[in-house]
Amino acid sequence: MASLTLDKVRKAFGPVEVLKEINLAIEDGEFLVLVGPSGCGKSTLLNLIAGLESSTDGEIRIGDRIINDVHPKDRNIAMVFQSYALYPNMTVRKNITFGLEIRGVSNEERDKAVADVAKLLQIEPLLDRKPSQLSGGQRQRVAMGRALVRDPDIFLFDEPLSNLDAKLRVDMRTEIKKLHQRLGSTIVYVTHDQIEAMTLASRIAVMKDGILQQFDTPQNIYERPNNMFVAGFIGSPSMNFMDATLIEENGQLAVTIARPGSPITLPLFETPESYKGYVGKEVVFGIRPEGLTHKRTGSEAAGSQYVNFDSKVEVIEPTGADTMTVIEIAGKEIVARVRPDRAPTPGESMTFSADMSQISLFDPDTELRI
Amino acid sequence: MADLQTYSHDAGWKNTILRGLLYLVLILFAAYYLFPLIVMVATSLKSLDEIREGSLISLPRVVTFDAWNYAWNEACIGVECTGIKIYFWNSVKMAVPAVLISTFLGAINGYALTKWRFKGANIVFALLLFGCFIPFQVVLLPMSQVLGKIGLASSTPGLVLVHVVYGLCFTTLFFRNYYVSIPDELVKAATIDGAGFFTIFWRIILPISTPIIVVSVIWQFTQIWNDFLFGASFASGANAPMTVALNNIVNTTTGVKQYNVDMAAALLTGLPTLLVYVLAGKYFVRGLTAGSVKG
Repeated sequence: MASLTLDKVRKAFGPVEVLKEINLAIEDGEFLVLVGPSGCGKSTLLNLIAGLESSTDGEIRIGDRIINDVHPKDRNIAMVFQSYALYPNMTVRKNITFGLEIRGVSNEERDKAVADVAKLLQIEPLLDRKPSQLSGGQRQRVAMGRALVRDPDIFLFDEPLSNLDAKLRVDMRTEIKKLHQRLGSTIVYVTHDQIEAMTLASRIAVMKDGILQQFDTPQNIYERPNNMFVAGFIGSPSMNFMDATLIEENGQLAVTIARPGSPITLPLFETPESYKGYVGKEVVFGIRPEGLTHKRTGSEAAGSQYVNFDSKVEVIEPTGADTMTVIEIAGKEIVARVRPDRAPTPGESMTFSADMSQISLFDPDTELRI
Repeated sequence: MADLQTYSHDAGWKNTILRGLLYLVLILFAAYYLFPLIVMVATSLKSLDEIREGSLISLPRVVTFDAWNYAWNEACIGVECTGIKIYFWNSVKMAVPAVLISTFLGAINGYALTKWRFKGANIVFALLLFGCFIPFQVVLLPMSQVLGKIGLASSTPGLVLVHVVYGLCFTTLFFRNYYVSIPDELVKAATIDGAGFFTIFWRIILPISTPIIVVSVIWQFTQIWNDFLFGASFASGANAPMTVALNNIVNTTTGVKQYNVDMAAALLTGLPTLLVYVLAGKYFVRGLTAGSVKG
């Protein structure tokens, strides 16, 4: 186990720059999730850490050791691949011990290591089968077993769950989390699924177009996204964005959203210094669906920062726990999360409460958080 | 109801006719292709007297293997009357190493070209592909000069070299196309496990290549065994392969024309390739269909 540091890492394929100055550092035992849409460079970054590709520039360190020019086999890492990459001609046992055999580990030690890992992953009955005789979930376990048996400094996971069906994916996600808690190992995990990122990570690195957008704990990324991309990417349904103007009314800052009829004016209770420069200017007002709810009663609203406004309801989408209510404000579809028993019928008008403690403001030009 | 019955009755009748026509055509084609073989086999089993009296297509009255024995042990190739057997072994000594070496090199080439992509890999592959289209005749003269310079002229090793060089293009193409469909992650996983170029090749890639190895062996064996031009050009006299010897038997103009011996020699020459198809054809088809069912 060890810490991992990426220092100004760049990667270019010819003239195409796929990674632009990535700086990341995680401590021993952390669970780092690299998340982003396809083509954002997250898998390339993982390959750089694994040593399957070499970086154009910058430094990669495991612990205090610079590993840029170290061969993958000498980096003391293990990797779980999206396609599992099990050797089709070998039994599960052989698959798991292949790396040990290559490294010249003795027969008895190999047998013991396989037994331990098989017990941990509950794949003991499968040890003498070939990969083609296993189900998707079983293959996944074997692939993890192959990584675990080596007891590496860092585990690398490349979208390990994306080939599983939805139910199994959730189960395996929990298992990976349990495994991490039990072993306390350092893990780097690539996914495009923001829910996986949120549930597993101790820290998330959100990437887009080869640029690191934000590197923080899941909760911070969710509550204080750096820019509109991160805000929209993390969370489902995604954050609502509305064009608004920041105004000052009776000494208090507020955002006002123009719409046919009367504008919606929402006073701001927390006003960081940075807001000051935007008074009288256009901003993008961002609020998550759970920040927009049915009208709160007096006791519910006490001591919080709820502001009420009226809007007509377009569509409702019940999910069971909550009913997603789509309203239209200034030509944009906005999703509010309403308790099922308070859900409106489409077409009627209803009073909503906006929780002003859960909002974000963005600069419309730079798309950065204000 | 009545209409329906008439209709189905009609259709059944039509079907029978169409089916019958289909079988007729198929039988005609089969006969067309089988006929020369039947004539060859029948003639090779007749005595020379019977051939002279009887008609071409009649079956032998007395079955005799004398012609086969004669062709194998005694037939005259040129002035040497040693039978075709020593040339059969010449062909074996040429074909077996040439098939094995070209298949093995093709496998390594295909593996390197797909899994260890180096700068210019595509150009190398394009040039190799180009080699598939070079006609035999073009390389005869330069090849004979090279063989002469390296001291392999008119020898079986020389022929092996020629066939390996010529077959490499095809075997590389086979293996390259097969390995393209094997996920790169397999090699990456093995790399992280600590295996190098040849360990991965021997332990992981080669064991899953059986189908394409069979394809390559069948193709190469057929090509090399049946080759006449290279054999006639680069190996003469006692080192000639069987195809060349067969030609010499059939074209020997002295004495009586021994049709039964000619036929027996031709059948003997064709047997090994037939045998390879019969033995490996099963794996060939199995190989082509393996993996098509999602596992």
